[in-house]
Amino acid sequence: MKIKIQPKPEFIEKMKKLLSQADFEKYEKIIQEPLLNSIRCNTLKISPEELKIKLEKKGWKIRQIWENYSEVMIVENELPPGELGRSIEHLLGYYYIQELASMLSAIALAPKKNELILDLCASPGSKTSQMASQINNSGTIIANDVKIERIKILASNLERCGVSNTIITREDGVALCEKLKLQNLKFDKILLDAPCSGEGTMRSSVKTCLMWNPNTIKSLSKLQKKLIQGAFEILKPKGEIVYSTCTHAPEENEEVVDFALKEFKDKIKIEKINLPVKCREGITRWNNEEYDERVKFCARIYPQDNNSEGFFVAKFKKIK
Amino acid sequence: MIHILPNQETQEILSKLKEQFGIQKIAGKLIKIGKERIFLFNGDFSDEQIKNLEKITFIEKIGIYIGAIFPPTGEIRLSIEGTQIFKDQITKNIFEIDNEQSKIWMQGEELNIQTGLRGIIAIKYKDNFLGCGKASENKIGNFIPKSRRLRSKNIIK
Repeated sequence: MKIKIQPKPEFIEKMKKLLSQADFEKYEKIIQEPLLNSIRCNTLKISPEELKIKLEKKGWKIRQIWENYSEVMIVENELPPGELGRSIEHLLGYYYIQELASMLSAIALAPKKNELILDLCASPGSKTSQMASQINNSGTIIANDVKIERIKILASNLERCGVSNTIITREDGVALCEKLKLQNLKFDKILLDAPCSGEGTMRSSVKTCLMWNPNTIKSLSKLQKKLIQGAFEILKPKGEIVYSTCTHAPEENEEVVDFALKEFKDKIKIEKINLPVKCREGITRWNNEEYDERVKFCARIYPQDNNSEGFFVAKFKKIK
Repeated sequence: MIHILPNQETQEILSKLKEQFGIQKIAGKLIKIGKERIFLFNGDFSDEQIKNLEKITFIEKIGIYIGAIFPPTGEIRLSIEGTQIFKDQITKNIFEIDNEQSKIWMQGEELNIQTGLRGIIAIKYKDNFLGCGKASENKIGNFIPKSRRLRSKNIIK
């Protein structure tokens, strides 16, 4: 039985400020509902067509929900908890269990074959493995994370998915950027899926709900600004960065994007993103802060719009 | 310690893979971490770039674990991914198992069957390669790591 999600009153007030009354009612309702059983076919090992056949033979009803992304699938059956992870197809690395919203950062970054890519906060590896699939194990991905426990999960997931173009490093993200800058190593693409308060993940993590507090958001916002600043310094001219979080907090989203736009001025531009889900534009005002108008190009993904988790994506291009 | 294998050592590994499984070529760099574990890296970072990166940060892993040198005999024991990567090249020492046996195998248990083969063999069920086992007279020893084992008797269709 699913535990009822009970967000803290302060969080509820904040969401009411972010959403209209009608939207808030939909939001409040959907966070109590279980998430869809979403999986991503690992095209490094099997084609979506082959996987679909295998899974349907198990009696699973498969729906491919996004045009142009046949690897994204929903298992429509009601499955016992953990069943997706116990199947032999999962153990053999034919698919990755990944929430729909979490697939959007790599789609936005759209890595190309033979590019040099940095995944700065890579664990557990869902987006790293997705990018490796997108470029068919070509180029090089440096997948970094800071804690050994997280690295173990990352390494295990990349191995299961047959990812062979990746170097896993263990370093504080800000420190790694500084070191790479000194060595003048620059990247075509950087994914900064930043550590965040996880407000968008309440449907899957009751713990997030319990741990939520406004002070953490402030300290995370500081860290996120340092990470994005460091990442820009090691981007090639014409290189691109995707900044994403799984939170709704403007302090961790538009405020960080606004910071980057002010810090790097005419050296960067923010890009419009085409994603296969309903997105809302970034907000330009929050509490007493006004953000650069261009933050509207960011994508806010709300659970009530797509029956997914909540997410935020912004994409930048380095001009000079 | 990361050791990017020079050409000679790569050829030695290839020669063993050829002898054991009929594998003719390796696309990418081979890397050893520790004495036995072999990794395949096919990113396009050069050896020098890897060494430079190692100077400034801690590299936990490069590429994918494809197998290990089996100490008693010096044979190469390919991992699940190793057999999958070379699936189109493996022509020798393959043993095909049936549905029921595949369930037992993926649960990490040895198979009590006579294969007519000896030593390290690749295990296959339909179009799925399931890693390697060690064949002796009446059984195949299992190397499926705990994290990859099937906990219920699901069926590969």
